[in-house]
Amino acid sequence: MAALQRLGQSSLSTSASSYVSCKAGEMAVLDQFPAGLRVLVVDDDLTCLKILEQMLRRCLYNVTTCSQAAVALNLLRTKKGCFDVVLSDVHMPDMDGYKLLEQVGLEMDLPVIMMSADARVCAVMKGIRHGACDYLIKPIREEELKNIWQHVVRRKRNEIKELEHSGSLEDNDRHKRGSDDVEYASSVNEGTEGTLKTQRKRSNAKEDDVDLENDDPSMAKKPRVVWSVELHQQFVSAVNQLGIDKAIPKRILELMNVPGLTRENVASHLQKFRLYLKRLSGVAQQGGIVSAFCGPVDTNVKLSSIGRFDIQALAASGQIAPETLAALHAELLGRPTGNLVTAMEEPALLQASLQGPKCIPAEHGVAFGQPVVKCQPNISKHFPQSIMFVDDASPMFGAWPSNGLGTVAPGSNLVGLNPQNNNMLTDILHQQQQRQQQHQKPQQQSALSESSRSINVQPSCLVVPSRSSANFQAGNSPVDQNYSYNRSAVIDYSLLSSQSNNSSLNVGQISGGDLKTTGVLSGYSGPGSISPSASSCSVSAEHNTSQQVQNSTLTFRAARQVPGLVPNVADIQGSYRAKSGEVLDQGPLRNLGFVGKGTRIPSQLAVDEYELPMNNLNHGKIYLTFSQNRLALLGEL
Amino acid sequence: MEVGQMQRSLVDYTKSLFLEGVLDGQFLQLQQLQDETNPNFVAEVISLFFEDSQRLLNDLTRALDQPNVDFKIVDAHVHQLKGSSSSIGAQRVKNSCIPFRNFCEAQNIEGCVRCLQQVKQEYFLAKNKLETLFRLEQQIVAAGGSIPTMELSF
Repeated sequence: MAALQRLGQSSLSTSASSYVSCKAGEMAVLDQFPAGLRVLVVDDDLTCLKILEQMLRRCLYNVTTCSQAAVALNLLRTKKGCFDVVLSDVHMPDMDGYKLLEQVGLEMDLPVIMMSADARVCAVMKGIRHGACDYLIKPIREEELKNIWQHVVRRKRNEIKELEHSGSLEDNDRHKRGSDDVEYASSVNEGTEGTLKTQRKRSNAKEDDVDLENDDPSMAKKPRVVWSVELHQQFVSAVNQLGIDKAIPKRILELMNVPGLTRENVASHLQKFRLYLKRLSGVAQQGGIVSAFCGPVDTNVKLSSIGRFDIQALAASGQIAPETLAALHAELLGRPTGNLVTAMEEPALLQASLQGPKCIPAEHGVAFGQPVVKCQPNISKHFPQSIMFVDDASPMFGAWPSNGLGTVAPGSNLVGLNPQNNNMLTDILHQQQQRQQQHQKPQQQSALSESSRSINVQPSCLVVPSRSSANFQAGNSPVDQNYSYNRSAVIDYSLLSSQSNNSSLNVGQISGGDLKTTGVLSGYSGPGSISPSASSCSVSAEHNTSQQVQNSTLTFRAARQVPGLVPNVADIQGSYRAKSGEVLDQGPLRNLGFVGKGTRIPSQLAVDEYELPMNNLNHGKIYLTFSQNRLALLGEL
Repeated sequence: MEVGQMQRSLVDYTKSLFLEGVLDGQFLQLQQLQDETNPNFVAEVISLFFEDSQRLLNDLTRALDQPNVDFKIVDAHVHQLKGSSSSIGAQRVKNSCIPFRNFCEAQNIEGCVRCLQQVKQEYFLAKNKLETLFRLEQQIVAAGGSIPTMELSF
C-alpha cells in the first residue's frame, strides 16, 4: 500500500489516476479519470441493463452487468476492490434494491446509486435513508451517468478526512513526515541521488530547518527551531571554533550566520550541548565500567534504569574531556565521510536504505558483552533524542556522542575521540555485526557490516555501552539477541508494525522478528529514497530492524540525552498513533511517560519524564520509522 | 426504390412516430448510442424490450386473472414495464402505465384490467411501428445506403 502514507491529496490523485481495469483491453483508458471507473450495474430489467451498459461504456467506464441482486452481491464479495461504484435498480424480484444497498454499504463501503422509474419523493427519500449516494430516475440519460464518478471521489475524500480527524495528525503528520524525511534525507545526504533530487526543492526551502513548524493543526503550535543535522553541525563547528569554554550564544550565532536563528535558540541549544558533553565525558570515564555491563542482557529489562546507570557511570568516569567530546562530536557531525561522523551516519543511513545497520557500533559492543550492552536502554533513548534532534530543538545530541563514546571503547578510554578509537569502534561494531549476522537477514548483513563500519562512531550509536546502541548498529537482530529489551522491543515493534501497516510508516512491514533492532529507521535509511515516510518505511521494512536501527541511530545522533530520547519516544508514540490510527500497545510506551516538550533538558535519563510533543511528529519523517522503532523500544521500558 | 428515397421515407416515418408520441427523445439517445463497436445496438435493445414486455404483459394478465389479485405483484410488473418502456423511448406505453399504477395502489381490479388493456394496445402499436422502422432501415442498408441520423427538431 505504499504507505500509506500519503493520503489526502495524493490519495485522491492516485485514485483518480489509476483505476485498474479488470479487463486488460481497457487499460488504455485508465489514464484519464474518470475513464476506467469500474461500475457494477444491477437491474432485473434486461432492456434497461443493456442500455445502461452501453451508456456507461460510452462514458469510458468499465462496466459489469448483473440482473440478479444476489449474484451482484456475490460478485462484490468475491471481487473486493474490483469495483468503484454500484448502480442498482430499486425494484428487483429476488432482493429489494434497498437491501442490496445496505449490504454493500456495510460490507464494502462502496458508493451505491439507486435507479428507478419511481420518481415519488417518498421513494427517493427512502433511498437517501438507506444510504444511497444518488437516486436516478429512469429513463436515465447518458449525461447523468457521466457524472457518477463524483460519488467515488467524494467518498474517498471523506474517508481521508475521517482518517485525518480520527487519527489526529494523520495525514498531516504523514505529509509532514514525508516531507521531513525527504528534507532531512536530502540535507543529510548530499550524495543521495534520484529520489532526493525531486525533493530537493522542498528540502532546500527548509535549508537549515530553522523552521517554524506549524504542523499539525491539532497540536499546539509553537514556532520552534528544528535543529537539523546540518544546523547542528554548524553549531558545533562554531562552538569548536570558539572553544567550548568560550562559546557564548552571541558569538555562536554570529559564526553560524543562519538567518532566522535567534540568540535564544542558540542559547538553549548550547545548554543542551553542554550537558551532552558532560554526559559524554562521564561515559568515557566509565569506560572501565563497561565490562561490568557485560552482564546478561536480561538485566537490561529496565532500560531506563540501566540506561541511566550507564550514562551516569560513564559520566562519572570523566575520562573524556569535554573538549574532546565536543571535538569528537563535531567530528562526527562534520565528517560525512569519516567513520564516526554522525553526518556520515545519516547519509549512510539514508543511503544504506536498508543496508547494514548504521547502527551504533555500540550495539555490537553490546553483543560482545561490552559496555555497549548497556546501550540498549540508551539507544532507545537515543532514538527519540535523535529524532528530536532532527525535528526539534530539544537537546538531542546529548546522549548521542556520549553514548557512542562510552560504548565503543570497551573498557578503553572513550577518548576514542580520535580516529583510532573510532576505528576501534568500527571494528567492534563490525565484529558485532558479523556475529550477529546470523541473526540478521542476509540482505542486510553485508550492507550492515559496511555501514556499520563507516558509521561506527555515530554518536548516537556510541552512546553508552548500552546494548541498545550496539543492537542498533548490529542492525539486524543484534538487539534481540542480547537484550531482553531488544526482544521486547521487537515484540513491540511487531505490534507496531502490524498496526502501522496501514500507516504510511509502513514500518510494520518488518516482520515481527526483525523488529528487534527497533531502530527501524528504515524510513530513514531508504537509500536514496527519501521518499515520504511511507516509502522509507517500506524500505526498511524489508531490511529488518537493523537497518532501522541505523536510522534510529542516525536520528539518534541528534538526540543528546535520554531525556531527549524520551521526547522523541513520545513523539513516536504520537506519530505512530497518528499514523496507524490505532494505539499501539501503549502500555509499554506509556511507561516512558514522555510528556511534555522535548525541549526539556535531559537532566535525567528517566524516561518517564518526557513526552514528546506532538509537534515532533511533524518534524519528521524520521519519526515515522523511529516511532515505530521507538515504540518497540519503549515497550520495554 | 432507390436509396435516397428510402432514406427520406425512413426519416419521415420516424418523425411521424415522434409526432404521434409513440417515441420520445429517449429513442434518439438509443440511436446515438449505436456506433461502430455496437452497430446493431438499437435493434438489439428493441428486441430485448419486446421480449421483456411480452413476458410482463402475460404475467400481468395472469395476475389480474387470479381470484385474489396480489396488487403488489401487479404493481411490480407495471413498474418494470414502465421502466423499460421509458428506457427505449416508448412514450405512450410508459404513459399508459401511470394510471395503471394508480389503480394498483387503489386496489381497483377493474381499473387495473382496463389499464392493462390500454397498455397492451399501446405496446402493440409501438411494436408495430418500430418493426416497420427496422424494416425500412434494413432495406436501406441492403441497398447499400446508410441510415440517416435523426435530428429532433420540434
